[in-house]
Amino acid sequence: MLKNKLITPEGTRDLLFEDCMARRQVETRIKELFQNRGFSEVITPGIEFYDVFSSEHHGIPPEKMYKLTDHKGRILAVKPDLTMPIARMAATRLKGQTRPLQLYYDQNVYAVSPTLTGRSDETAQMGIEIIGVGGRRTDLEVLVLAIEALQSCGLTDFRLEIGHIGFFNTLIRRLNLSDEDAEEIRELIQTKNFPSLNDRLDRMADRETADALKQLPALFGGAEVFEQAAEILHFSELSADIESLRAIYEALAQLGLGDKISVDLGIVNRNDYYTGIVFRGYVEGLGTTALVGGRYDTLLSDYGSPEPAIGFGIDVDAVAKVLRNSLPPLPAPDVLVFAEEGYEVKALLEIRKLTAHGFTSEFSVFDSFDESRRYAVKKGIRTVYLVNEDLVEVRL
Amino acid sequence: MRPIRIALTKGRLENSTVELFEKIGYNCEQLRNKGRKLILEIPEVNLEVVLAKAADVITYVEHGVCDMGVVGKDTIMEYGGSFFEVADLGFGKCRFALAVKKGSDFYEGYAVKTIATKYPGVARSFFADKGMDVEIIKIEGSVELAPLLGLSDGIVDIVETGTTLRENGLEVAEDLISLSARLIVNSASLKLRKKELETIITAIQNAVKA
Repeated sequence: MLKNKLITPEGTRDLLFEDCMARRQVETRIKELFQNRGFSEVITPGIEFYDVFSSEHHGIPPEKMYKLTDHKGRILAVKPDLTMPIARMAATRLKGQTRPLQLYYDQNVYAVSPTLTGRSDETAQMGIEIIGVGGRRTDLEVLVLAIEALQSCGLTDFRLEIGHIGFFNTLIRRLNLSDEDAEEIRELIQTKNFPSLNDRLDRMADRETADALKQLPALFGGAEVFEQAAEILHFSELSADIESLRAIYEALAQLGLGDKISVDLGIVNRNDYYTGIVFRGYVEGLGTTALVGGRYDTLLSDYGSPEPAIGFGIDVDAVAKVLRNSLPPLPAPDVLVFAEEGYEVKALLEIRKLTAHGFTSEFSVFDSFDESRRYAVKKGIRTVYLVNEDLVEVRL
Repeated sequence: MRPIRIALTKGRLENSTVELFEKIGYNCEQLRNKGRKLILEIPEVNLEVVLAKAADVITYVEHGVCDMGVVGKDTIMEYGGSFFEVADLGFGKCRFALAVKKGSDFYEGYAVKTIATKYPGVARSFFADKGMDVEIIKIEGSVELAPLLGLSDGIVDIVETGTTLRENGLEVAEDLISLSARLIVNSASLKLRKKELETIITAIQNAVKA
């Protein structure tokens, strides 16, 4: 049965020419930014033990992972996430290194998507992690880098949305619910499902907390959200979170990034390892998120090294897709160099010279000048060199 | 600026939405005389209306090619997806129910039961919650036929008045959940075009309440 030999698996694709150029351009620019800001690259294996991704509290659902077995029958996963392998590495080989660790990565992740939805199973991701030091300064640094990373790619029409997982966690704790009930409410807040959320919370005895939870998904927008939040989320445990978020928001505004940020206190993702500030990047023209990040202070304890951490990942493919349309078509080489019989070496020396002067050139593999010329016309190459005793430059 | 695009589920939900739009005061002339066109405009409010099948409404909204959509809760439960479900529109009311041949007891005995349904996802999760293994057969048309022909022990389907069930010798054994039409919104759109979308959502919510 070889009926699949001519196609790529669903959710994957070949990237050609301009697609590659867009992707590499995004990678180059973001990489430069990360390096300029003191981050060092790490590359983790493409396959890891399944256990790395299946910790009790932060695990990735098994049905979302591509799995293999090794020669001893142990389960391996084609990595579905980059933060977890980096956490594993920080807790082991990098254990003795000076903190904070400032790491960046540029690798693919794999996830099983539902069939026929047009989603990719293979995604190029770049991102950073700051491990070992927590606090407001790292929050600020990471947010600034997230915005600058998107800007560095030439994106102008995007928004970074900031929230804090603490609001939901604190409020839901006050209601003393079972895990299932809490999860149900979390999902309703995440999907901004106001009708069902209201139904569900109207049954709660603690009216004050229930009313606050009901309004959580509506607390999104600009700086005005902080005023509303202070009124609605008037619990003493929350005031510190609101203030720290406001301070960060104001600092970003002072940096001139005010029009690039917004707030959503209703960000509450499932299976998240996030514990504090959380953020997402939205780009005009993309229906999905292009950047996801946040603080994950408990993840490293899963690997035996409790320490604070924060980071984000950028969907490089998504950003490249937006930029792809604004890129000029791939240019043809400047010169096609054709050598007559016996003058091949001379022609190759000529190509060296062209390269040294900054021109792109292609060595003609055809047997005649006419064929070379026809090929040049088809490919849009404007100049052909005819190399024999002399060197004739033919402009097309 | 690109118009805000809203996808409507063709048929009854579409008609009820058009009535709702007229209540708000939108000019629905194009929607009333649409012919065979699938994309229509309400130019005064810069709104573009797309007509699609229920499950496709979700797909278009999820991918962000439509900013909003009107779709039944039944479709949302069956197909899921990530988007915001911001309002209950109050029309298209019905419920999911488990129906069996009149007089039979579905839960009797220990044999594995067979369910015929157009909504395999909904049926699967309903019985999974009960910790019950059932065999599920997907049927595309009139599900009522399956138990009558002896293919299944019961059906999971949408029930409005129950007339079809009664006329075919079936009865509701259990109600699963009540359903109605919902307004869904693409998550990126709600963030990037908050003001415009909120204006429309608020108008719709007020019209629903009125």
